[in-house]
Amino acid sequence: MPFINYENREISFKIVYYGPGMSGKTSNIIFVHKTIAEDKRGELISLKTSEERTLFFDFFPLELGHIATFSVRFNMYTLPGQIYYEASRRLILDGADGVVFVADSQRSRYERNILHYQLLEKNLMLYKINPKAFPIVLQYNKRDCDTPIEIGTIEKQLGLEDVPVFEAVATRGDGVLETIRELSRRVISQFEV
Amino acid sequence: MKALTMETSNINTQKLSDVLSDFIAETDSIVALLLNKDGTAIASAGSENAIDTTAMAALIAGMFSATREVAKMVGEHQFSILLQQGEKRHIHISLVNEHVMMAVVFEGFHRIGRIRYESRKACKTIGAALAITDQTNNNQKVISIPEFKEVALNLIDSIFTNK
Repeated sequence: MPFINYENREISFKIVYYGPGMSGKTSNIIFVHKTIAEDKRGELISLKTSEERTLFFDFFPLELGHIATFSVRFNMYTLPGQIYYEASRRLILDGADGVVFVADSQRSRYERNILHYQLLEKNLMLYKINPKAFPIVLQYNKRDCDTPIEIGTIEKQLGLEDVPVFEAVATRGDGVLETIRELSRRVISQFEV
Repeated sequence: MKALTMETSNINTQKLSDVLSDFIAETDSIVALLLNKDGTAIASAGSENAIDTTAMAALIAGMFSATREVAKMVGEHQFSILLQQGEKRHIHISLVNEHVMMAVVFEGFHRIGRIRYESRKACKTIGAALAITDQTNNNQKVISIPEFKEVALNLIDSIFTNK
């Protein structure tokens, strides 16, 4: 549920990039940040380890614009992918309005993708959210790797039916904006009655 | 087109901002910020222009959540106060309730006693205001902005488009 501040006339949505370690979540958010107009974005904050891995999260606020008398904002987060940061992922997922799941297309990472998607569903259910009714977009990143896993294998393994799928090479920006555009549309559409 | 409705937190943020302004006047702190555990700033007072309160709210919420996990590891439900001491500026964070916390940026560490005392008072007032909101409105309110969806989708398409 978005947070609405009546005094400041602001509506804030929380968007989270989720996925296994090194799948390209930070590359996604960096590309989005540098692509959009300066007056639409706040500073990109990254909390990294000495090995340049995301320690806690990356964050930046994106000003969508004004609708009626309200200013609408998307607060964009990525989460650490390493398996031992499960507690961090669970905490930052709290209050999310939509999730981009960034999967790694390398065949050696297939099982890790499945595990992390299952953890995502489990964490959403901890917050009493039905993953099937929650805005999620699946991105197959690193499509430029040698013999990438076939599109459809993750959805088939997990029994996903209505999750939109995008191919991407986030370091080049390919597919990044298409992914976040679809997720954003779904987040907004979720509130129509 | 159908009207868009949203269930929202119906918090009287003006009342909360007033409490924070009083706190700033009493303690001469730099910024007082009220935020929820999702990382959203609810209200603020003081020299807000000097500090990016949006980013600060996200970072403090993450920090507080992480500390709560640490508290559980040592057998506590949570730590109700966090204190960060710098060379010149310091941050005092106190829990208002399960979902809301108050962060204060101040200078002069010798004034920590006053900061703590006034923070406790402010948190009590804010907690009471939030509790009244819960009771009177069941914390839910519906707003209606008929053009919301159409305008929002147009904004999304224009922002997230390859130039």
